[in-house]
Amino acid sequence: MNQDALILFFIVAVFLVGFAIVFAYIVAPSSVNPQKSEAYECGIPTKGITWLQFNVGYYLFAILFLIFDVETVFIFPWAVVMKQMGMVGFIEICIFFFILILGLLYAWKKHALIWE
Amino acid sequence: MEFTGTQLMFIIFSAIIVIFSILTVTSRRILRAAIYLLFVLISTAGIYFMLNYQFLAAVQLGLYAGGIIVLIIFSILLTSHISQKFEKVEWKKSVFSAIAVIAGIIVTLTAVLNYQFEANNAITQEVDMNLIGTKLLSYDRGGYVLPFEVISILLLASMIGAIVIAKKGKKV
Repeated sequence: MNQDALILFFIVAVFLVGFAIVFAYIVAPSSVNPQKSEAYECGIPTKGITWLQFNVGYYLFAILFLIFDVETVFIFPWAVVMKQMGMVGFIEICIFFFILILGLLYAWKKHALIWE
Repeated sequence: MEFTGTQLMFIIFSAIIVIFSILTVTSRRILRAAIYLLFVLISTAGIYFMLNYQFLAAVQLGLYAGGIIVLIIFSILLTSHISQKFEKVEWKKSVFSAIAVIAGIIVTLTAVLNYQFEANNAITQEVDMNLIGTKLLSYDRGGYVLPFEVISILLLASMIGAIVIAKKGKKV
């Protein structure tokens, strides 16, 4: 990538977002009243701390996502050179897939993919 | 002293990294610290883009900014004292840590400044996806096919480990 393109991209991005925020701040009429901080339309006002502890299932899904994310990182370079590497590359990626599918099967067997 | 655009970009990115790194470790709310860390990682990806490491930059954005931070936020939300604000650090502690940090900076800077860097005359090779793919899958000398397959084992181990830990004590 060209350095100038990156710089231009950065400037445009900063300008676009900054302009939207500044423009909205200048143009928008401002009115503040207590109703605006309430829960929208439904529900009772909350009491105390509204943070709640997450289910461990989220963590499990996040880590499975991350592992397959890492996997895609290694598959992309293979996909680029797939044709020129030919059969050898295909066999190598098949071994790679096979080992990872074992992990997926394990997750399936242990009911890690079921939301509880 | 005149700045070229590239230098200016580098200064902007490194300033963002330094500022948000400091905010990450000084923030008293843990969730905010995670978000500051996200900004640090994104600016690091910007520096990789400047160095023409597109692949590494994409990995940085996709894995670190997209994956690791999500994981960190989920693990924060799993704990029971999320809303807890850390207590203010005593002034004595902050003075001593400031001294330690400054000493560390001095040692590193003197080491870097005293070192005679030699210009690298080797022809720089553009690292593109094609080269990475060929190297990763080649089994010749200098190829990385064994590490490539070992990585899949490592990923398998981490997947199984995560499932075992998350499912601990539950009947399957």
